[in-house]
Amino acid sequence: MKTFLNSLLVLLFFIPSILLAQSTVSGTVTDKANALPLPGVNILVKGTSVGTTSDFDGNYTISAKSGDVIVFSYVGFKTQEITYNGQSKLNVTLTEDAAQLDEIVLIGYGSTTKQDATGAVEKISTEEFNKGAIVSPEQLLAGKSAGVRVTSNNGAPGGGSEIRIRGGASLSANNSPLIVVDGLPLDQRGVQGVRNQLNAINPNDIEDFVVLKDASATAIYGSRASNGVILITTKKGSANTPIKFEYDLKASSSQVNDYVDVLDATQFRAIAETDTNYNASLLGNSNTNWQKEIYQTAIGAIHNLTVSKGYENFNYRINYNHTSQQGVLTGDLYERNALNLSFVQRLLNNDLKLTLTTKGILDDNKYADNGAIGAAVAFDPTQSVYNADGTYFQYTGENLAPINPVFTLENNNNRARNKRNITNFNLDYKFWFLKELTFNLNAGIDYSELNGKQFNAARPTNSASFPYKNFYSGFNRNTLLDFYFNYKNNLELINAKIDLTAGHSYQEFFIKSKQTETETATTLVVRTPVINRNALESYFARVSFDIADKYLISASYRRDGSSRFGPKNRWSSFPGVSLGWKLTNEDFLKDSFFSSLKLRAGWGKTGQQEIGANYGYLGVYTPGRNDASVQIGDIFVNTLRPEEFDENLKWEETSQYNLALDFGFFNDRLTGTVDAYYRETEDLLATVPTPAGSNLSDLLTTNVGSVLSKGIELSLNGELAKSENFNWDLGVNVTLQENKITKLSLGNDPNFLIAQGGISGGVGNNIQLWREGLDPSTFYVFRQVYDNAGNPIEGAYVDVNGDNQITEADKQAYKKASPDVFAGLTNTLTYKNLDFSFTFRGSFGNYMYNNVASDRGNITTVNNAPGNYYPNAHVSVLSTNFNNQNLFSDLYLQRADFVKLDNISIGYLVPGEKITFRASLTATNVLTITKYDGLDPEISNGIDNNFYPRPQMYVLGLNFTF
Amino acid sequence: MKINNIKHKAMLRIIKTVFFAFIMIGFIQSCESNLDLQPEDNRLTADAVFEDPAAYKAFLAKIYAGISLSGQQGPAGDADLSGLDEGFSNYLRLYWKMQELTTDEAIIGWNDGTIKDLHAQTWTSGNEFIRTMYSRLFYQVALTNEFLRQTTDAKLDARGVDAALRAEIQDYRAEARFMRALTYWHAMDLFANVPFVTENDPIGAFLPPQIQRADLFDYVESELLAIENEIVPARQNEYGRADQGAVWMLLSKLYLNAEVYTTTPRYSDVITYTNKVIGAGYSISTNPYYHLFLADNNTNGTQTEVIFPIAFDGLNTQSFGGMTFLVHAPVGGSMTPSNYGINGGWAGVRTTATFVEQFPGEENSADGRALFYTDGQTKAIANVSPFTNGFAIEKFRNVDVNGVQGSDSTGDFADTDFPMFRLADAYLMYAEAYIRGGGGSAANAVTYINQLRIRAYGNSTGNITQSDLTLNFILSERSRELFWEAHRRTDLIRFGQFSSQGIWPWKGNVAQGVTTESFRDVMPIPATDLGINTNLQQNEGY
Repeated sequence: MKTFLNSLLVLLFFIPSILLAQSTVSGTVTDKANALPLPGVNILVKGTSVGTTSDFDGNYTISAKSGDVIVFSYVGFKTQEITYNGQSKLNVTLTEDAAQLDEIVLIGYGSTTKQDATGAVEKISTEEFNKGAIVSPEQLLAGKSAGVRVTSNNGAPGGGSEIRIRGGASLSANNSPLIVVDGLPLDQRGVQGVRNQLNAINPNDIEDFVVLKDASATAIYGSRASNGVILITTKKGSANTPIKFEYDLKASSSQVNDYVDVLDATQFRAIAETDTNYNASLLGNSNTNWQKEIYQTAIGAIHNLTVSKGYENFNYRINYNHTSQQGVLTGDLYERNALNLSFVQRLLNNDLKLTLTTKGILDDNKYADNGAIGAAVAFDPTQSVYNADGTYFQYTGENLAPINPVFTLENNNNRARNKRNITNFNLDYKFWFLKELTFNLNAGIDYSELNGKQFNAARPTNSASFPYKNFYSGFNRNTLLDFYFNYKNNLELINAKIDLTAGHSYQEFFIKSKQTETETATTLVVRTPVINRNALESYFARVSFDIADKYLISASYRRDGSSRFGPKNRWSSFPGVSLGWKLTNEDFLKDSFFSSLKLRAGWGKTGQQEIGANYGYLGVYTPGRNDASVQIGDIFVNTLRPEEFDENLKWEETSQYNLALDFGFFNDRLTGTVDAYYRETEDLLATVPTPAGSNLSDLLTTNVGSVLSKGIELSLNGELAKSENFNWDLGVNVTLQENKITKLSLGNDPNFLIAQGGISGGVGNNIQLWREGLDPSTFYVFRQVYDNAGNPIEGAYVDVNGDNQITEADKQAYKKASPDVFAGLTNTLTYKNLDFSFTFRGSFGNYMYNNVASDRGNITTVNNAPGNYYPNAHVSVLSTNFNNQNLFSDLYLQRADFVKLDNISIGYLVPGEKITFRASLTATNVLTITKYDGLDPEISNGIDNNFYPRPQMYVLGLNFTF
Repeated sequence: MKINNIKHKAMLRIIKTVFFAFIMIGFIQSCESNLDLQPEDNRLTADAVFEDPAAYKAFLAKIYAGISLSGQQGPAGDADLSGLDEGFSNYLRLYWKMQELTTDEAIIGWNDGTIKDLHAQTWTSGNEFIRTMYSRLFYQVALTNEFLRQTTDAKLDARGVDAALRAEIQDYRAEARFMRALTYWHAMDLFANVPFVTENDPIGAFLPPQIQRADLFDYVESELLAIENEIVPARQNEYGRADQGAVWMLLSKLYLNAEVYTTTPRYSDVITYTNKVIGAGYSISTNPYYHLFLADNNTNGTQTEVIFPIAFDGLNTQSFGGMTFLVHAPVGGSMTPSNYGINGGWAGVRTTATFVEQFPGEENSADGRALFYTDGQTKAIANVSPFTNGFAIEKFRNVDVNGVQGSDSTGDFADTDFPMFRLADAYLMYAEAYIRGGGGSAANAVTYINQLRIRAYGNSTGNITQSDLTLNFILSERSRELFWEAHRRTDLIRFGQFSSQGIWPWKGNVAQGVTTESFRDVMPIPATDLGINTNLQQNEGY
């Protein structure tokens, strides 16, 4: 392989320089309006088939003779004809013709234009990003794209998010989209020891996101594309630009503005006093709001220093980022120091372009012990944080009692540093003898190394307990080598453009984890390292035709092999086809009401293999640890366990149909897209119960069942006002979607269900279910019975089967956590140098299970602790008067529709000769309109339990460019 | 024409080039074949793992651990089963709940899923504790089947196993078959008609057939008879491993309940096999009764009575099931955790008045087996949840005979071993089989029972005479001697007192207790397995 590649490179680099004989002309094509380079311009020697297109940076090279007429044409711009008279340099400026500048859109192993795209592909660029002190890149996208739902996991600094494109295509396997950074697909499992693996990409460094939603667009990424693909392109400098310095600061302050509603000291005391064995000496005399004690005003700052410059053949961009963000939970801290470099070198008259992007990231976390959140909710409000002597108040000797959460935050310490490097090298070469043929090679590595230390103080509630130390380390390595050939040409004979791509990709993931931890009071034990390796190999091809600038046809094919399946099932094929019809280019619509109109349809098949386990098809044996050994005679024998496996494990396959209309009115001042999709996943990789006795566990990840999802996505973008001084842009997107399980087992019992959604309160309780015909986030509850006054009758539920007993059989599937409809609205106003923007996001039809209320909203919580103390209860006990936990009552299931004002921002730009200065003020998580009683209506799994609150944040932004 | 020709040639060249470039992609296939990956850490494939001769014993240890532990990591973290909380999924903990919480001997106050339905006898086929018991039983069967598949002569030949190890492996195989018989007995007793798999079945996606209870009885009996003389003789094996005594004991239990399982009584076989047990040299020690259930019960003298223990250790055999549960869960209210060698009670399990009343004089009985804790506890249970409703029981403790805490200084995990089979049970089975007409002698029966009562009373004041030998006495005496040792449900069913007869507090989910329907003598096949395995038919009544 290596020799082969070497000789290939030699061939590519050196032969052309020897053979080069014809006179060539090169130059840059720029836009007259803003002097920005224009990529994708068609350049043709008139009357011949010699032609080329300008690259990403507007550069081109073409062979011509003196006297030839060179034609520069570009959709949306006036075509220019220039007679060539021997000069080696020919820079051209094009003037905008129509209103719409047609953008280049990446589509995976290549690019297209927005006009020619046939799949559901959406590009979100810098100007549309969410504002604020954003640490994690995916937050830039929240609410910006129809069909894309970004839900932050919690309010932790630098925390991750759940990203769903068109819901999720799987059940137990991965439901997150594939994320590709500058051509390198990230490991979908993330990397160890960080809060969010995407934090390795500095939000400030992102040029744009391209979201590939439907299968015809994603099938080229076959094996990992069922849940959509997000392509992230980072900023690179551009050619022939003067040196530019930029300093950007975002300073922020955040605080929690709502707490879980627990009893205050008076309410609490009143309930404790009803205890039959009431012991007054166990209560204190304070009125402590324990939640207030654990949260702080968190300060954060994000600094970005960027330098960029472009020469004729070389350009670079260097960015240094320092981010420091405290969490609102006292002691929580996220820090990032990152150096992001990009270099672009053009050689051989622009025929060869080498791009190197590399990011070095030091990701430092101090993890506050989140257990403090639950302890603060549960702690007796009559107790003070400190005793009179200044020591912490604790329930000494009560092993199951909560630990003083202020003590926990103060004493428990968990720090981790992740050193990461993401480097991607790209080579793009146009063959000297055939400029339309290019070779593209991409070599990437994502290496991250973790080092963490954890210290937990001895449990103050148990005098025999000892401190816990944990040293953990490891690394993740993700290596990629892919290459493809691309051939693009105008076939004048048939008035068509053709675009062919074919390539190969190999990617390997290697993970190693090590741990040394406290085993007894005096000993540390070194755990056996865990190693996991898996690999993917793929062949891919795509062919696109654009006939008469009216009819677009694109077909792609990918063949993938995964090391996670046995040789028999290892390989699978993932085809995709899409069609587009540019209606406004037809004579009958030429001068119509529409300024643009395109109909698109696509179908594609994608796969899934991200199931966590690497050897699921192979029976392996796992040794047991010393603390799980068995006494035989006088010695303890370590055990050996054969693991469950399914030797027939194979690819999960998703078929998706997409039908869409892109339209524009009023010279494209108002544009929009409606997409409708229908997606079916078969041979679902799900972790389901095994037939008892047939395998070596009760649950097994295997191919079973199918899920269906369908939806309609609408997005509208309007330039409501457009003038020199005043611009007003409004973007709206609305998504309607429905997911359901269509088959779940090998059997045919329609009532077969699998419990999901573990909750607090007792052990092993679940509040959701999977069953055929239902959304996978459906709740499974008893229907509460109320008295005439409308108060719930404790323990009285609807007796569904009429057997006069309330049993498991009376539970009903009722409501779900996923929304029916969600929407985003982005508004941007600029007046002269003043800009104002805000983003609203809404979700409708989703329900939330208030687990804090169901677990703690009862008298038993206070009066029946397993020891000598009284824990606090949720305020709902005052209205329900429930004695015991009624975990499965639908009383705790509440409508959680919401509209959130995610961010609102005002900025002022001071332009200068040498220096440009911009200042802005942004507030994020400003306002939530909801009927939901709990802390936050937006929790991705629909179970609200000791949620780390999302803070409200105020951000001051300063930006200097010179 | 010429121009056309040139164009044509140029076109051809382009096509050739493009074709060549794209064809090259296809050549790569021969270069990459890196998709055959094997584990690289301490996990091993079957072929690799058995290169180590010690692997056979380690695998056998896993079969014993199947009852005491919940996974490969103590106390939790790498579970065998993942359908329920790991601590809950432990074999012994679940089996104990099935056998005790459903009866008058125990009641639990927790809110864990459907756990309260066990005592209320209102369980359905969706009950997760019943489901996980069932999963655990068939996990254990699958584990032993895999052991037997990996130790066939053919496999051992292929691996070139030497004669000494081979002989040892034959002992292991007998023990594995015993363990499978034990589990199938539990399955037959609890679920009657269950899926049936042996070492002749594969691992993977197939639907095991259902076996009828009587057929399973025949299978378990034939397995035990087949290994009776292959397994290590009674009291000759290493501590913690099963021997001939355990086989005889299990055969006795099988025959004692044969009428329930097959409608054919086999009481004379009970006499035969209990006689073998009794004659094997086990003895009732002079220690007080409660010493049987202490942290040092493998060494304090009482071990002479134990036929088959489930061994635990506070440092080396850690789980949240088994003995950890049995020691922690019954401690609450005003009980002092350190008296039980633990750092805190879990305030869950108590007993009902019905059980208290089995002892003359109740909590103040002269019978040393009345191990009640009554301070701050009420005898009656007004409300199931609070720990203080119902007397507490202090039977299993993590302290030694001197009151010293077991090896785990944090007080989390217990050293106490669980006596799965002990001589007292053999004595009581002998007496019962005698009464039921299986032969034997009344004098022996009385002598055996009085041995137990002398230990219980500390003297002969509690002794019985031949006229006391009635079935009702036996049922009560079994409860007094063997309470909380996971026998009660089976005993009540054999005496017809479990469902449609027999009342105790909170049976039927009412405070005073009501009878329930007789179909509850058998547990339901879990709905999940019925949903998957179309070969299965639900037990009657569910």
